[in-house]
Amino acid sequence: MAVRRLLHPVRYSICFALAALAAACTRAPLRGALAVTDDWGRQVALPAAAHRIVSLAPATTELVFALGLGARLVGRTHWCDYPAAARAVADLGNGIGPNVEAVAAQRPDLVLLYASAVNRPALARFEALGIPTAAIRVDLAADVRRAARLIAAAAGEGSSADTLLSGFDAALDAERRRSATGAARRVRVYVDVESNPPITVGGGSYLSEILAAAGAENVFADITQSSAPVSLETIVARDPDAILVLTSDPTRTPDLTGRPGWRSVRAVREHRVIPVDGSLFGRPSPRMPEAVHDLAIRLAALGPR
Amino acid sequence: MKRLPPRTFALLLAAAWIAAGLIGLAVGGSRLGPADVLAALGGEGSESARAIVWSLRLPRVALGFLVGGVLAVAGAALQALVRNPLADPYLLGLSGGSGLGAVIAIAVGLESAWALPAAAFVGALVAIAVVYRLALVAGSALDSRILLLAGVVVGAFAGALVSGILAVADATGVRSAMLWLMGGLGGVGWAGVAALAAYSAPALAVLAREARSLNLLALGEEPARYLGADVGRSKRRVYVAASLLTAAAVASSGIIGFVGLAVPHAIRILRGHDHRGLLPSAFVLGGAFLVLADAVARTVVAPIELPVGVITALVGVPLFAVLLRRSARRAVS
Repeated sequence: MAVRRLLHPVRYSICFALAALAAACTRAPLRGALAVTDDWGRQVALPAAAHRIVSLAPATTELVFALGLGARLVGRTHWCDYPAAARAVADLGNGIGPNVEAVAAQRPDLVLLYASAVNRPALARFEALGIPTAAIRVDLAADVRRAARLIAAAAGEGSSADTLLSGFDAALDAERRRSATGAARRVRVYVDVESNPPITVGGGSYLSEILAAAGAENVFADITQSSAPVSLETIVARDPDAILVLTSDPTRTPDLTGRPGWRSVRAVREHRVIPVDGSLFGRPSPRMPEAVHDLAIRLAALGPR
Repeated sequence: MKRLPPRTFALLLAAAWIAAGLIGLAVGGSRLGPADVLAALGGEGSESARAIVWSLRLPRVALGFLVGGVLAVAGAALQALVRNPLADPYLLGLSGGSGLGAVIAIAVGLESAWALPAAAFVGALVAIAVVYRLALVAGSALDSRILLLAGVVVGAFAGALVSGILAVADATGVRSAMLWLMGGLGGVGWAGVAALAAYSAPALAVLAREARSLNLLALGEEPARYLGADVGRSKRRVYVAASLLTAAAVASSGIIGFVGLAVPHAIRILRGHDHRGLLPSAFVLGGAFLVLADAVARTVVAPIELPVGVITALVGVPLFAVLLRRSARRAVS
C-alpha cells in the first residue's frame, strides 16, 4: 500500500524533482575534485583536472601554451596569434562577447573567460550549461603570475606554474639588475599606441612596467588609467628622449615626420623612434623578460642624447 | 528675451571671436604663460614654446574657427532647406558615409596620415551623391521629406556596413578609426587648415548668395515661388554646398556634434531670422564656440585630452536650454 502510494505518478514526479534538486544543489561543490578562485572571487569547481580547455583571451592562450598545456586547448579566440601552434586550435571568434554556442560545441571542461563586465552574461550562460568557467584578468605582470597559477591548478599541473614562474622571475631580475647598473639617467619614453588622436599608456600599465624594468620611464606616468588620449602639445612639452611605436611590423621604422604637427616633437625630428612588436609588448605574457631585453638593447643602441 | 540691435550684436560677436582666439592660444596641455605665448608669436623664446605655438596651437585655433563656422553655416542652411529645426549638418547621411569611408580605410590597411580624412571625405561624397539621386526621384525640386528620408536610410545603410566591418575586422585598428571619427582638432596642422579654407570659400559664397532665397523658402515653397524664387535651383544649390562643406569639416576633424544644430538657433533667438545676417553670424559664433570648447577639452583633465564633441554638448546644452527658455517666455508674454 505504502509502495503503491509512493509510486503514484504525481508523487513520484515530485520525489524525482526533489531528488534532482538535491543532486543539483550538492553536485558542483561536493563532487569537485579541484577548486580554484578566479579573478572575480568566484569558487570554480572542476570534477577533475581540465583536459579540454577553451581560452577566450590571447593572454590566457599564450599562458596555456607556456605551461605546456597546449595539447589540451580545444578552442581560442580569433585574435590568439601566439604561439604559432595556437593557430591550429579551433577559432571560436571573439573573446569579449563570446559565441557561447560555439564554445559549448567544443565540450570544454574549463573555459578561461576574460574578466570584462561585458562578459558577465556569457559567464551566466556557461554556468547554466554546467561548464566550469574562470574569469581571468591579465593586465599587468602580476596578473600573469596569478593567472599562470590558476590555469596550472585547474589543469592539475601546479608544478608547471612553479617552473614557468621561477624562470620568469629569474629572467626579469637579471634584466632589472642589468638596467640598474647601466645608464646613469633613466631614458624618458613616449609610447605611441594610436596617432590621431594621440593615445598613450599611463603609469599603471603593463608597458610602463616593461619600461621601468628596462631602465626607462614613461613620460605620462602621471596618468593613472591604463591608456588615455593626450594632446600633441603635451608630448612636445614633455620632450621624450625616445618614442616607442607599437606596430605589427617592427622591422620597419615608421616615419612620424609625415604626421601633421609631429615634427614639433624633438624625438621625431631626431629620428629617435623605436618600432616594437605590438603582440610582444602590448599583451602581458610570460615573454615579458624578452620584451624588456629587446627594449633595453634598442634604447642602448639609440645612444645618449 | 529682447533681440539685440544689429550693431550691438555684431560687436558682441566680434568680441567673442577675439576672446575665443586669445584663450585658444593661451591655454593648452603644456603650461606656457601669456608672456611665453607672446614671445613665441614674435619668434622669440624657447624652441619648444615656438613649436607649440606656431605648429600646434595656431593651426588648431584656426581650424576650430573654420570648422565651427562651416558647421554652423551648413546647419543653418539645412534647417532652412528642410524647414525642420532638428536638422544638423550630419542629418542627410553624411556621418554614416564618412564613418564608412574611414572604417574601410583602416580595414584595408591604409596607413598614411592623410588616408583617414581622404577616405572619410570620399565616403561623405558618395553618401551625398546617393541621397541627392534618391531625392531627385521625386522631381528636381528636392522634396524636403524625400530628402530627409533618403538621408536617414543612406545613413542607416552605411551604419549597418560599419557595424558589420567592426564585427569582423582587427579590433585595435578599427578602434583608431572610431576615435578619429569622434572628433578632434589636433589632427591636420597647417596643410589641413589651408586646404579646408581654400575649399570652403566658394561653398560659403554660394550659400551667402542664396541667403535671400532661404528667407523666402522659410515662408514655404509655394509663397517662395510666388515671390519669384527659383525654388528647385536654390534648394539644389543649398543642399550641395552645405553637404560639401560638412564633408570637408568631417575630413579635417571628424564628427563634432551640437555646433551645427544649436548655433544657428542661438543666432535666430538673439538676432533674428534673416539669413543674410544669420549665415555670417553663425559662421563667427560657431567658430568662437568650437575654439572655446577645444580650449576646455585640452585643459580640463590635462594631460588627458577629451574629445571636443563631449565639451560642445556639455557646455552647449545648458546654454542652449537657457536661450530656449527665454525665447519661449518671450513668445508667451
